[in-house]
Formats: sequence, C-alpha cells, structure tokens
Amino acid sequence: MRNVIDKYKRELVVLLATLGMAVFFTILNPAFFTWRTFLTVLQQMVLNGILAVGMMFAIITGGIDLSIGCTFAITGIGVATLTVNGVNPFLAILFGLAIGVVLGIFNGFLVTYLKLQPFIATLGTMSLYRGIAYVWTGGQPVTNVPDTFRNIFNGKMFAGIRFYVLVMIIVFVIAHIILSKTRTGDYLYAVGGNEEAAKLSGVNTRKVKFIAYTICSVCAAVAGLVMLASLGSAESTAGAGYETNAIAAAAIGGTRMAGGRGTALGTFIGALMLAVLKVGMVVINVDSFWQYVVTGIIIIVASYFEFIRQDIAAFMARKKA
Amino acid sequence: MAKAVEFVKINKRFPGAHVLKDISFSVEEGEVHALLGENGAGKSTLLNILHGVYPEYEGDVLLHGKKVVFRDPNQAIVEGKISKVHQETLVVKDLTVGQNVTLGYEPKKGLLIDFGKMHREVNAILEELNCTFKSETLVATLTSGQMQMLAIARALYHHSTIISLDEPTASLTFREVDALFEVIRKLKKNGVTVLYVSHRLEEIFQICDRASILRDGQYITSLNIKETTHEELIHAMVGRDVAAVASRLRPSPQTDEVVLKVENLTGLDDKFRNINFELHKGEILGFYGLVGAGRTEIMRGIFGADRLMGGTVTIHGKKIPASWNTTKALREGGIGLIPEDRKTQGFLNLSTNAENVAISSLEKYMTGIFTDEKKKIKNAERYFEEMDVHPRRVDYLTVNMSGGNQQKVILARWMSTEADIIIFDEPTKGVDVAAKAEIYRLMEDMVAEGKSLIVVSSELPEVMGISDRIIVMHEGDITANLTDKNDFVEDTLLKYAIGGNQDA
Repeated sequence: MRNVIDKYKRELVVLLATLGMAVFFTILNPAFFTWRTFLTVLQQMVLNGILAVGMMFAIITGGIDLSIGCTFAITGIGVATLTVNGVNPFLAILFGLAIGVVLGIFNGFLVTYLKLQPFIATLGTMSLYRGIAYVWTGGQPVTNVPDTFRNIFNGKMFAGIRFYVLVMIIVFVIAHIILSKTRTGDYLYAVGGNEEAAKLSGVNTRKVKFIAYTICSVCAAVAGLVMLASLGSAESTAGAGYETNAIAAAAIGGTRMAGGRGTALGTFIGALMLAVLKVGMVVINVDSFWQYVVTGIIIIVASYFEFIRQDIAAFMARKKA
Repeated sequence: MAKAVEFVKINKRFPGAHVLKDISFSVEEGEVHALLGENGAGKSTLLNILHGVYPEYEGDVLLHGKKVVFRDPNQAIVEGKISKVHQETLVVKDLTVGQNVTLGYEPKKGLLIDFGKMHREVNAILEELNCTFKSETLVATLTSGQMQMLAIARALYHHSTIISLDEPTASLTFREVDALFEVIRKLKKNGVTVLYVSHRLEEIFQICDRASILRDGQYITSLNIKETTHEELIHAMVGRDVAAVASRLRPSPQTDEVVLKVENLTGLDDKFRNINFELHKGEILGFYGLVGAGRTEIMRGIFGADRLMGGTVTIHGKKIPASWNTTKALREGGIGLIPEDRKTQGFLNLSTNAENVAISSLEKYMTGIFTDEKKKIKNAERYFEEMDVHPRRVDYLTVNMSGGNQQKVILARWMSTEADIIIFDEPTKGVDVAAKAEIYRLMEDMVAEGKSLIVVSSELPEVMGISDRIIVMHEGDITANLTDKNDFVEDTLLKYAIGGNQDA
C-alpha cells in the first residue's frame, strides 16, 4: 500500500486538490453537489481527456503534438462526409481511426526521419492539416449526420451516462496498460528519459516515437468521432486551440514536459480538475471572461506545486536529520 | 611551512547519510596535495565544503590560518582566493575565451565592458600558461584540454592562491596531460597550493608531494608520495589489498573461431577509413589510441548507433544489412556496447536500477503478454548479489549511485541479454580501484563463458594488462595489430598511437 501511495503521490495530490475545489464550489452553491452536475463534469472532460492522454504519449517521448486539434477536425469532416453519404457507421469509424493513424505516422516521419524538432514539425502539420480540412470542405460545415452513427457514441447507457464516457474510460485503461504493462511502455519512458542511452541499450527509438505520435493522433481521431456524434455536424474550424488544454491536463497530472515521466491516471485527474473548474465556475456564476483568468492561474499553481512539494519534502527531511 | 588549508573536525550530514565524519588534516602552502579515495568516500563533498558549494556543515575550515565561511562558490573565488577546476569544465561555448575567464567580473569602462583591457589581461595569463589559443578565440573551437587551461586561467584571473583540480585528466590526450603537469609545476613554483583529485595513481606519483586519503567518509592518513608505494596507497584507500594494475588471473580461453570480421570499414566524416580486423571467440581485443583516434566511432558503427559509409561487417558468418541499427545489433547480431559516457549515454537517468538492468532484455520478464515488475527486480537482485553492487538496492535511481556501481548496473544490463560480443568503451573511466579490479574479473568471467570482448581504452596499464591482442589506432587508421605480449610495452604502443607504422 505504501508503495502505491509513493508511486502515485503526485496523482493523489492533484486528486485531493480537485476534491477540495468541488467542496469549495458546493459551499458556494449546493447545486454543485448533484448527480446532474457530476454527469456534466464527466461529459465536459471527455474530449479534453481523450486528447490529453494522447498528447501525454508524445510528451513522454520528450516531444509534443500541436496538430491534434486539426487531426480532430479532419476526422470529423471525413467521417461526417462518409456517413452522410450512407456508408455503414462502423466502417466510417474505422476510416476515422485510419485518418488518425496516417496523420500520426506523418508526424512521426517528420520527427524521426527528418529529425525535425517536434514543436516545429507539428506546428507545420497543424497548419497543413487545418488547410486540408478547409480545402476538403470548401469551408462549409458537413451537417445531417445520421443517428445510426450518432447513437453509437451519444446514446445513453444507464443513469444518464452516455456511451462516449465509456469510450473515454476505455481509452484511459488502454493507455494505462500500454504504459505500465507492456514493453512499449518501458521503451516510451526510456526514450523520453534519455534517448541516446535508450538507443545504445538496443531500443528502436524511431519505432517507439512512431508509436507515440500514432497513438496521439488516433486519440485525436477518437475525440473527433465523439465530437461529431454529439453535435451531428462537422466543421473545418473545429478543435482550434484544443492542444493547449490537452497539454495543460497532462502537465497538471504530473507529465514531465521534458519527457520520461507521466501516467494515464495523472492525466485523467488533470483533465478532471479542469472540468470541475469549468463547470464549478459556471455553477457559481463566475463571469466567462474571468474563467480564463482563473483557469490560467490554476494551471500555473498546479504545475508549480511540484517544486513546492519537493521543497517541503527536503525541509522535512532536514528537520528529521 | 605555513598551512594553506586546514580542516578541523568536519562533519557533513545529508538526509539519511553521515557522509563526512570528523575529518581533520591540513595542506601545506605551495604543495601539490592529492585527495584520494574510492567513489563515495567523500572527496567531492569535502571539496564542495571547501569551495562554498555546501555552506552548512559542522567543524571549521581554515585558509592560511584564518577561519572562513563561504556562502557560495563565488564568494570563495573572489574573497577566499580559492578556485575549483571542474571535472567537466563549465563554459559558455558561444563566448570568447576572454569573456569566459572574466565572466561576471569583466573589466569595465563606465557601463560598458572594456574588451581591450580584458583581452590584454587574459592573454597575459594565457601566455604564462603556455597556451596556444588567445583570449579572442571562441570557446566552441577549444579541445577539452584547452578548456581545462581556460578554467585554470579563470582561477589565476581571480588571483587564487589555492586551486583544486577534480579529475582534470579524465578526457585529456597524453600531450595535454604533460602540458597540464607543466602548468601545475609552474603554479607550485609561484607559491600556489594545488589540491589534486584523480583515480589515476601514476599521475599522483608524477605530480603530487603528499596525499590524504579518505575512506567511507573518514580521514585515514596522509602520506609523503616519495616514501610510499602504489600498494600502500591502494591499501589505505580500499582497506585491503587489491591488484594495482589490470591483469589476467586466468589463462585466456581464446579460440580461432572468428565471431566478428570487419573489412574496409569507413565512417561518417572520414572519422575512420579502411578498417580491417577480426575478433575471435573468447578473446579480449584491446583498442588503444589517443582521444579522437576514431575508436569510439568504429564501435558505434558496428553497433548500429551511427551510419557506416563503406565496408562490410560480418557477424557469426553473416553480413550485416544496410538497415543496421542498435536493435538489430542486439537481437540479430548479439552485440552489446557499454558506452564511454555513462551519464549521457549509459543509464536512463529517470529509471531505477532494476529498470536500467532490464531495458535491453524485456522479453525475459513477461507474464503472458504483459511485463512483470517482480521478474525485473528478481533479475537485477541476482546480478547485484553476484557483482557486489553497493548499495544493494535495485529500487534506487541509478543516477544516485557512484560511478563504479553505475558501471556495474550497465554491465548487468548486457549480461542479462543474449549478447555474446560485448564492446567496452573506456570501461573504467571515473571508476575507483576496487571497482576496477571487479570489472576486470567480470570481463574474465565473460570470456570464460565463451563471450568475446572488445575493450577500447586510453589507459595504457589497462589495455596492456587485460588484452589478448591490441590494435592501435591513429587519427582514423589502424597503425598496429600486436599479437605478441612482448610487444605490449608503453613506448611501443605510444609510438603507434602517435602515427608510427608497424610495417615501416
């Protein structure tokens, strides 16, 4: 038990902070403490959660993927176009995931074979993919997506929970298993921790990075599917700026921005915290402009907290000695 | 003679560790004083106290008879006139030598830096040090030996009367070492006191007057170098007798079977060309040469870490394909490489010992399709026991272990794989005497099991003591292939290393 607490210390701290926030909102407005609000929080975190867990894979290898918002948009457009034209919804979903794979592999190619800085490479594909989305649709939204597709994600399971919440949880569980239970997970951490050392240990660092960027893009595609199902239409402007929230959730959850560290659980809690904050501020009627200010402060404080925690730990150790 | 440095009952504690225990000894003015001990004995901690890196400790430090307390290293340099030349010299590569030497204390003309005065003053110091580079030279163009000189120049710029050198020769060519020793002698003549930390005992005998020895955080003794022997020093450092030089304790199991054949190998940027050699099963093949001879680059090429420009490599009778990489080298070729720089190339710095040992052989620690933490730990524990790693904690981060033990972690990594051709690049760099002897013993174990080793080393005693055969390189070419142990003589090896040809 102690080991588990030790291992997930950071996650625990963020979780406690999130609970503290929930208590704070409940005191200001008891309406926050309801099943409905809880559902809203869950639904609010789905898109960012799925995007963030993918982003985490890129960050763990020491990189980043700025293009996820655009991958998200292209997937929506592609799948919407197919379903509107009567293609089987499950086939359309496979196509959507394939878009994610292809765009992710292209990002991986730029980062590994062309040795571009991930920030610059995906800054490029961010514009490139967005451009493809515009060209594809001529800037027009694709509407009237059939319910047969929408119900797959948007339908309700029980107690008002929609299927896409389950999709998000499945994504997180798979991510957790990959990171903590497979060789690929060990290699991902190794590449992020010290790429040269990983390479000289016989790790195929190129392949590992390809996997990371592909997972990242596929997550973006999944989020795109969820978005399409809940809105019923796709736009080429969708997902703009989503990459920043995804980075924030991963960072709050303890993902090391230089690579080598990060867990699915942490990112989940990070996304949860941002969702609680967002919904809570609406419940207590914070002006929407101020919401940005508060969110920014919380991101900074949550990230800085890691340093404070280390200082406190060092201080306690000194006192003991 | 007056005392330059006096330590009085120094104690230093870190959370959970008492690293210095009642250290008391003194250093005379104008002597070259060696500070010796194994990795983790407390030498670095003591130096850090002396130079103001750790302002908190118990006991007193006296400089020239006066008690001093420094807040930080800068105060030590400016007010205490005491400077440290680091193992890895810290420089700003994009500035000139003069700017680096005077960094933070540049001569000013009003608000602006007086570059004329800066370069005049620094050039005077560089001349004094017999340096060939100028104050106006860009630091990025300097060799590591020259950077060491830069650091000494910085100490002289601040009129230091006491200078510590921490492993100064670790990455120097032997000519640079000679130049450094010349400078040390000159400093001594000018009355500067030098504290000298090194694992290379030959150097201690060449340059030092006295040596103080630490073991497990305790002061053991101070010895006059002229009146002592290698054996006595080592005994004081380790607390028991250890072979002073690399040597083979068992007969060589080498056979005629060729496991690795290299033909006409040429590397990127002409770092090496037309390299031909063979490695036999059970053999320890030494690769000697000066820093920059191209040995590391050849090994990286064979291991798939760098691209090769031409030639063929044949492993167990099979030619390696063009798509060779480290993963294939390990899985298909059975080759392992223990790199020169542990910190940046060896271990994963965010990972525990168990993970660092396991990373190259993960397929061994599976339960079904999932990796199993417990199996990794069990495997690492077995090697830690076998190799006597201290502390015997597989859950510790490797980055926090001492140099010799880090090296054992990386050795355990390759011993956990199926690799049967192991390439060691400077295997005992920064490793203390006792751990060195253990690493040599492990090498013998490996060849006894039928593995074949290549040992790249710039340390003559090591390469002469451990090898069955020695290949000597000079600036990218092989200049000698010595099979007769009678040829394993320092002068001979040096002659080939500086370009003399075997056939000539």
